Amino acid sequence: MNLLKRPQHWFKNLALARKLILINVLLIVVPLGVIGAWSFSIFASKMEEQVGKYQLQMLKQVTLNIDTYMNELNRLSLMPYQYQEILDFLGTSRDPGEALTLQEIDDLNNFVSKVFLNGRVDIMGISLFGEHGASYVVLPESQYMTTYQLGGNPEWLDKAKGRFGQPTFITTHDVKSTSGTVYKVFSIARELRSFDSGDTLGYIVIDIDPAAVRKLLSQVSLGSKESLYMTDSVGDLVLRKEKTAIYPVIEGLTQEGVSHHKVDGKSLLVAHVNSEVTGWTTVGVVPISELMKDSVVVRNSILLIGGICISLAVLLSVVIAFRITSPLRMLRTLMRKVERGDLKVSFPVKQWDEVGQLGSAFNMMVSHLSELGYRLYETEIREKDAEIAALQSKINPHFLYNTLGSISMYAEVEGNQEVVKMTNNLSRLLRYSLSGRKDTVTLRDEMDHVQGYMTIQKMRYEERIDFRVEVDEALYSCPVIPLMIQPIVENAINHGLDKGIGEGLIRLSCYQEQGVLTIVIEDDGIGMTSEQLSTIRYRLEKIHDLGGTTGNGLMNVHRRIRLHYGEQYGLQLESMPFQGLKVIINMPIAYSMTG
Amino acid sequence: MRGLSFRTIILTAIGASLALTGCSQNDNKETVSAEAKAQAIQLNYWTPFSGGDNLFMTEMVDQFNQEHDDIQVVQMNSRLDDYYSRLRTAILSGNAPDVAIIHASSLPQFVQNDYVEDLSEPAEEVGLDWNVYNKSVMKAALFQGKPYAVPLDTHVLVMYYNKTFLEQAGVLDDQGKPAIEGGETGFTKFLTTIKQAVPSDIAPLAQPSTRIDSVWLWWSLYNQIQGGGKFYNEDSTKAVFNNPAALKALSYVEGLYKSKLIPPNIPDAFKLFNEGKAAVLISGVWATGALEKNEQLNFGVVPLPTIYEKPAAWADSHTLTIPAQHEMTPEKREAAMTFMKWLAEHGAKWAEAGHVPSVSAILDTDAFKALDYRSDYAEAANAVAFWPKHTKQHSLIEVIIRQFERMIYGQQTPEQALQATEAQINLELSK
Repeated sequence: MNLLKRPQHWFKNLALARKLILINVLLIVVPLGVIGAWSFSIFASKMEEQVGKYQLQMLKQVTLNIDTYMNELNRLSLMPYQYQEILDFLGTSRDPGEALTLQEIDDLNNFVSKVFLNGRVDIMGISLFGEHGASYVVLPESQYMTTYQLGGNPEWLDKAKGRFGQPTFITTHDVKSTSGTVYKVFSIARELRSFDSGDTLGYIVIDIDPAAVRKLLSQVSLGSKESLYMTDSVGDLVLRKEKTAIYPVIEGLTQEGVSHHKVDGKSLLVAHVNSEVTGWTTVGVVPISELMKDSVVVRNSILLIGGICISLAVLLSVVIAFRITSPLRMLRTLMRKVERGDLKVSFPVKQWDEVGQLGSAFNMMVSHLSELGYRLYETEIREKDAEIAALQSKINPHFLYNTLGSISMYAEVEGNQEVVKMTNNLSRLLRYSLSGRKDTVTLRDEMDHVQGYMTIQKMRYEERIDFRVEVDEALYSCPVIPLMIQPIVENAINHGLDKGIGEGLIRLSCYQEQGVLTIVIEDDGIGMTSEQLSTIRYRLEKIHDLGGTTGNGLMNVHRRIRLHYGEQYGLQLESMPFQGLKVIINMPIAYSMTG
Repeated sequence: MRGLSFRTIILTAIGASLALTGCSQNDNKETVSAEAKAQAIQLNYWTPFSGGDNLFMTEMVDQFNQEHDDIQVVQMNSRLDDYYSRLRTAILSGNAPDVAIIHASSLPQFVQNDYVEDLSEPAEEVGLDWNVYNKSVMKAALFQGKPYAVPLDTHVLVMYYNKTFLEQAGVLDDQGKPAIEGGETGFTKFLTTIKQAVPSDIAPLAQPSTRIDSVWLWWSLYNQIQGGGKFYNEDSTKAVFNNPAALKALSYVEGLYKSKLIPPNIPDAFKLFNEGKAAVLISGVWATGALEKNEQLNFGVVPLPTIYEKPAAWADSHTLTIPAQHEMTPEKREAAMTFMKWLAEHGAKWAEAGHVPSVSAILDTDAFKALDYRSDYAEAANAVAFWPKHTKQHSLIEVIIRQFERMIYGQQTPEQALQATEAQINLELSK
C-alpha cells in the first residue's frame, strides 16, 4: 500500500507541466515500443520460416540438378551392355598384366572414347574390371593400364556387389595419374552381368571430376558463412562447396526438412534433402545469426525511426506542456506579486479557454481589490482631514467653553437673554462638532445639532430665516454619519439666503422610501444656473478628489456618504436660477438596535 | 491554432513509423549472389593437354585471371584422344569455345571453311607483333599469308635417358650424355649394350606398342635421310611416301620392336620410364616437366639422335585460335586476343612444362636459362619436321597409326604397311 501510495503521492505533487510530459511520454513510448517489438518479432519469425522454406527449395533444386547429372552417369555406365566385345573381354580369364591384342586395344579404346565423348567432359577416368583378371583402366592424363587387380579396391567393390546391377556412387577419393598428379574424383560403379549365365562378368567404374558437382552446388548460395555439402548414407563427406564455412557434422538427417541445431553455442538452421538416385544427402547449414543480418537492419531502422519519432514526439509534448502551463505559471507569479501588495498587475488574456477565463477573472479580482484599497485609503485620509480640521478648531475647547460659560453668566446677570441663548447654542454646537470621534450618530443627534446651529443663525439673520423641519419621529433613531446635514444647511444659508435679500425659507424634511433614507434640504434662494448645476453634478459624479480642506461642504458630505455606503448613494442637486436649490441626500436606512 | 498543428505532426510521425514497421514485415530476404568478377568477360578455353603439362597451363590461367580483373578465363581440358572430335562437333553445332588450342598439324582442317578466325585484324587491335615468334612455327600458323593462330610453343621429339642405367651400361660420355655411334648400327649397339647391362624387366627403349609414337619416330627418321621427308606430291593429290627412304626408316623402327629392344605390349611408355622401368624414352618435350617432379629419377634429355644423314625430329606446335562462332562481340574477341598474346609472352612459365617457347626472345631470358634440361634440347627446335600442311592431315595420320600398329603387332611387314597406308591415303585423298 505504502509502495503504491508513495508514487501516487509523488505524482500528485508533481508540477503540472511535468505531469503532462510524463503522461504524454508514457502514451507515446509504451504503445510505439510495444508495436515495434511485436511487429519485429513477427517479422523475424516469419522471415526465419520463409528462409527455411527457401533454403529447402534451393537444396531440392540443386539436388535435382545433381540427380539429373548422376542419372546421366548412370546411363553411361550402362554402355558396356551395348558392346558385346567389351562384355566378352571382361569375361575372359587373364593373368595379371597379360598383354592385350591389337583388336582388344582397338575395341577398348573405341569404347572408352565413346564413353568420354558421349558423356560429360567431367569424366576423368574409366575403369573396366573383369571378375577373372581382365582390366582396362584409363586414369586422368594417363594411357590405359591392364595391371589393376580387383583385390585392391575392396571398399567400393563391396558396395557394388549384390545390388542386382544397380549403380553405386562412391564418395570423393584420390586417384594418381602416371605423371604423379593426384586428382580428386568421385565415382559411379556398376556390376555388369551376363544375360546368358546370370553370372557377374565384372565392373565398370567411371571417375568424375567433383568440380562438376561442386559447380552445381556453387550455383546455390544460402548466405554468407553458409556450409553446403553432401554426405553419403553413412555420413561420410562426398563433397563440399568451395569456400564455405565448416560446421560439425550434423547427424540423424533423414528424408528432407528444415531443422534447428545448436552446435558449439551457435544456432544453426539446417536444411537437408536426401537424393533417391545417389542416396546422398545434400545439407545446407547457415547460422541463424547470419540469416538474421537483414532483420537486424530492419530492427535498427525500426529503432532509428522509432527513436526519432519518439524523441520528436517527446520534444513536442514538452513544448506543448510548457505552452499550456505557461499562462498558469504566469498567473501564479502575478498572484505572488498581488500577495506582496503590488496591485498594478494585469494578466494578458490571449485565448478564451479556461485559462483565459481564469486570467480575466483574476484581472477583475485585482481591479476590485485595488479599488477597495483605494477607497479605504481615501476614507482614512478624509477622517484624518476631518480630525485635523476639528483639532484646529478646538484649539482650546475648554478655554472656549469656559469663556462662553462666563459670557452666558454675564449675559444672564445683565438680563440679556439673547446672548445667553446664543452663547449656550454656540457652546453646544462646538461641543457636538469637536466631541471626539464617533463613526455614527443618530439622526436625532444630527437634527439637534442642526437646530442649535439654526438658532444661532436665526439670531444672526434676525428672524429673516424661516426654518421648517419635517421629520418622521420613527426616523430619529436612524444611524447617520455625523456632521452630515449641518454643512448642507450652512451651504443653503451661505449660497442661498446670504446672497438674497429679504426672508428666506429653508425646509428640511426626512422620510424613508424602500429602505432609503432621504433627507431633503430646500431653500428658496437665488439657485444656480444650469451651467453651475452641471459643473457641480459632474464634480459629484466623477471627481473623487475634493481638494482637501478647501472643498466645499457638499462635496465633502457626498464623498463621505459614498465611501461609507456605496456609489449608489450620495447627494443629488435640483435647482433653477432664482428658484432655490434642492439638495437630496440618499443613504440606506438602518434602525439602531436601541431604536 | 498552433497547438493543434503540433499534434497533427506528432500523429503523422507516429502513423508513419507504424506504417514503416508494418511495411518491413513484407520485406523478404534478399539473396545476395553477387559473384566476384561478375562484370568480367568470360572466356571458355579448351585444351587437349594430357602429358602432365596441363598443371602448368592451369597455373598460367589462374595467374592470368588474377592479373586481369576484366577477363575471366575458364579452362576446360579433355583427353587428346577425344579433343578434336569434341572441338569439331562444338564448332559445327555452334558451341565453339572462345579460345582453343589447336596443334599446328591440325590447323589446316580448321582453317578450311574458316572454322577458326583470321587473326590479322584482332592482332593489330591488341598490338601483337607476329615477328617475335619462331620462324618455322610461324610458318605453320600462316595460311595464304594470313595468321590464323598464335603459336604457343614448339614441341619436338627428344630422347630421355635414365642416367643410372646408362652409366651401368657404360654408354655415357664425359659430359654425362649418351655416347651413340652413327648410323643404324650405332644406335642399335647403344641399345643392345644397355639391354645386356640392365635387368631383364627394364626396357632398353620404351615406346608404346600402339598409338602415334612409332609414327613420330618414323617421321623423324624419314626426315633425317637425305631426300626423305616427302609426304605428298607437288599438288598434294597423292601420297608419295612409299619410297626406299621411308621404308628404310620404317624397317629400322620395326626392327627395334622385333628385336625387343622396344619391349612389346607397352601401353604407357612415359609411365614405364617415370617408374624407372626403362633406360631410354623417345617422347615429346612435354614429359620433361612431369619427369622433373620425380625426385627418384636421375635422367637426362638430348635431341633425338641423328641416325641418318641430317638431324631432324618430329615436331608440332600448340597454337591458340579463336574458333568461329555465330556471334562474337568485339570486346570478347579483344579479350581472347589479349589472353592469347599473354600466354605466348609468358612462354618461360610454359617452358616449365617442357615446351620450347614460341617467342624466340624468351630463349635468351634468364628465367628460361635457369631451367634445367630445356637448353639441352632447345637446339632441336631448329631441325624440326612438321607435318605437311594439309586439311586431311589429321585423319591421314590416324590411317598411318592403324597400319603401323598392325605392323608392330606382326600382322604385316613394313613394306606391306607402307603400301597399304599409301593406298588408303590415296583413296582418302581422291574422295
